[in-house]
Amino acid sequence: MHHSLRLLRPVCAATAVALVSTLLISCGGRYIETAGTDTIVSVDQINIQDWSMAADEMVQSLLTSGMLERAPTQPATLAVSRIVNNTTEQVDADYLTRRIRVALNQSGKVMTTTTIGLGDVVEDPLARQLAREYEESGDEQVIRPRPYFTLSGKLLEDRARAGRTRQVTYTFQLALTEVDTGLAVWEDVKDITKQGRRPSVGW
Amino acid sequence: MNRILSPAAPVAGLLVLLLALSGCKSVDTVERINPEAIPDPVADERIVTDPTLRRHITVVEVNRATVSGDLTRVQVRLQNNLRRDRTVQYRFEWYDAEDMFVDSPTSVWRVRTLKGGETIALSDVAPNPRAVDFVLKLQRN
Repeated sequence: MHHSLRLLRPVCAATAVALVSTLLISCGGRYIETAGTDTIVSVDQINIQDWSMAADEMVQSLLTSGMLERAPTQPATLAVSRIVNNTTEQVDADYLTRRIRVALNQSGKVMTTTTIGLGDVVEDPLARQLAREYEESGDEQVIRPRPYFTLSGKLLEDRARAGRTRQVTYTFQLALTEVDTGLAVWEDVKDITKQGRRPSVGW
Repeated sequence: MNRILSPAAPVAGLLVLLLALSGCKSVDTVERINPEAIPDPVADERIVTDPTLRRHITVVEVNRATVSGDLTRVQVRLQNNLRRDRTVQYRFEWYDAEDMFVDSPTSVWRVRTLKGGETIALSDVAPNPRAVDFVLKLQRN
């Protein structure tokens, strides 16, 4: 009897070590796919997948609209205008606009200027400074195509509550304006609604 | 042996029946007998790893079109075979002519809920003209 107990002792110790290791591993951090279904869904804030979903739908809408082909030179040139944030959150709209820009750029349909910006605030001040210097020096090779389109928009939110259930709808509004005519040749609105009883819920 | 039923039993049974019936809510639709649209169907291959999902959701048809000059657009119509709501997660992936994966900065898993008996269309546009083939991934929510 004592002999068998002595034999069992290492087995118990190994099992305990394995259990503790498992617990420690499960408590530690892990990498997950950013665009995957393991991401956290928060009812009280815009999550990374919300930006991606909104950007994806906007890009699809814009590409299928056929409006980008109105530009006389292809790919069409675009400047990003103001994106008004009317949500209660302090968010950087670049999460949305940059994804849209990258997707449109990779589609080969649009190129975005980084040296023209609203209120003279530009994305790449060095490029603009150099271009100005070249222009002032009379360099005829300087070509600065003006944007044919501008992209503007607004972020909105609507909150509702019934008992313990909370709901938030984030509305993404975008418009593509043809600079020459001042007409919004493409507009779209995408709503993302999330509901839950806790601040963070899963998919 | 006489079995005595509690007076609450019929009421409970009725409640269960009512609950079951309230969960079975399907969608009626009206559409043209002869649609004007001329679809460009795509022959598709289906790899099933979740037989339950296959029973619940049917891929009715897959169509393709070209948008913005040279970008492929696909549309997959799904039908919910159940008489209650069914939520699915889905994602489109794109491949070029050499069967290499084409990444997209906006590619993300999405969620759609199909009402009982409802047919919906999921669509996606290729991220660039090189992307010619696609895979639609579906999973239960």
